[in-house]
Amino acid sequence: MTVQLALLASSFLGELWTYLQDYGSELAAGLRRTIQISAIAIVGAFFIGLVLGAARAHRIPVVSQLAAVYVEIIRNTPILVQIFFLYFGLATLGAREVLGTGVTVDFRLDAFTVAWLSVMIWGGAFNTENFRAGFEAVPTRYREAGFALGFGRLATFLNVTLPIGGRIALPSSINTYISVLKNTSLLYAIAYPELTTTALQINALTLQTVETFTVLAIAYLAIVWTMSAGIRLLERQLALPEERR
Amino acid sequence: MNLPDWISPVARYMLEEGLRNTLQISAIALIGSTIIGITLGTLLTIRFLPLSAAIRFYIEVWRGLPILVTIFIIFFLLPALSPTLRFSALTAAAIGLILWGSAQVAEATRGAVISIPREQHEAASALGFGWVGRHAFVILPQALRRLLPPMVGLLVNIIQNTTIAQVIGAAELLETGERQVERLTFEGQNHALEIYAAVMVVFFLISFPLTRLAAYLERRLV
Repeated sequence: MTVQLALLASSFLGELWTYLQDYGSELAAGLRRTIQISAIAIVGAFFIGLVLGAARAHRIPVVSQLAAVYVEIIRNTPILVQIFFLYFGLATLGAREVLGTGVTVDFRLDAFTVAWLSVMIWGGAFNTENFRAGFEAVPTRYREAGFALGFGRLATFLNVTLPIGGRIALPSSINTYISVLKNTSLLYAIAYPELTTTALQINALTLQTVETFTVLAIAYLAIVWTMSAGIRLLERQLALPEERR
Repeated sequence: MNLPDWISPVARYMLEEGLRNTLQISAIALIGSTIIGITLGTLLTIRFLPLSAAIRFYIEVWRGLPILVTIFIIFFLLPALSPTLRFSALTAAAIGLILWGSAQVAEATRGAVISIPREQHEAASALGFGWVGRHAFVILPQALRRLLPPMVGLLVNIIQNTTIAQVIGAAELLETGERQVERLTFEGQNHALEIYAAVMVVFFLISFPLTRLAAYLERRLV
């Protein structure tokens, strides 16, 4: 029984090895696109979250309300529907002038644009909430101390609210980045050749289902688990002095 | 008000077929996630390494994988392993959502159970409750209070994630919308923008009150 199991395992490992030799480079290209899209979206989501989160926390008129509408729309609708809307829905508008401004915009976005744009918009909305909560958690007396020292509103934000609130928001924002990366798999729906799409295409061609999903699952878990481990490390590194244990 | 002719059959199909299936998958996924998640989360508080390592692994795997990949594994991989494990698209999606949802509930339950003071355990033991009775009648009812806001949040996420079933062709709301877009395109009219916007509106109308409720419960109960 043990021998049989060992033989079965070693033969599977052999098949997995051949599979990787045959399709490894294609899968690596898919993985690269997943990481590329995620990286663009994460950087974008960071800045969206930073600016809109600050506007929400400091109740900057108009911007704060618009940010709230943006956040509620994105958080309360499924990201897959957002992807469909951006890719299939907007395309029906074609190339047209925007509301008499004289600027012609082509609404037929290509798969790559929709890929990074959709996950960035989604991540930005969640990150706005992360940063808003972080900035609001900074005690008012810290900001008052900043004002008392003669800092202006912007200087107080950059020197007091951002370093403290940013640290508070960091773990939840990294969780959002992990979700952004996982959500890139949904780009399968618009056939953007990231990791999941590539793996499924290889599967349709070879029917090597077990090998395909073993590689796919391990790839995602490796990235996601590394990022979660990173959260815990960073949390300890960036903890505020009085919290450090 | 006169609506264009194409709207009424599209809306009827999407609501009667699509929304019904969406709500059905959501209900099954919520119930399954809750039962499995609360059980695993409570068991996770026992200090017995093989058990907690196994549950930890379950949680980290199903939380770590994109739900789409989980659903693909159930829909494509399981039938390849054994013909008896062939599921319909709706069932495969529900199972995928339960695996993911139960991992979320387990993690939340563990935190809620740990937050109950040790004295409650001791008092229950003093009254003669065994481990099961102590947790079922004393600890969990108190932990549920803390669990309620994340559970409402989970329901919102489950409802939104049912759309992932579209990818394997399950006739939930997004899929029925897509079918109608294709039918109309075939007839020479393109209404993708209106139909996908309508899908977003329906999800918003369901989710928004629930996220408000979750935020309210969070303020009230914690």
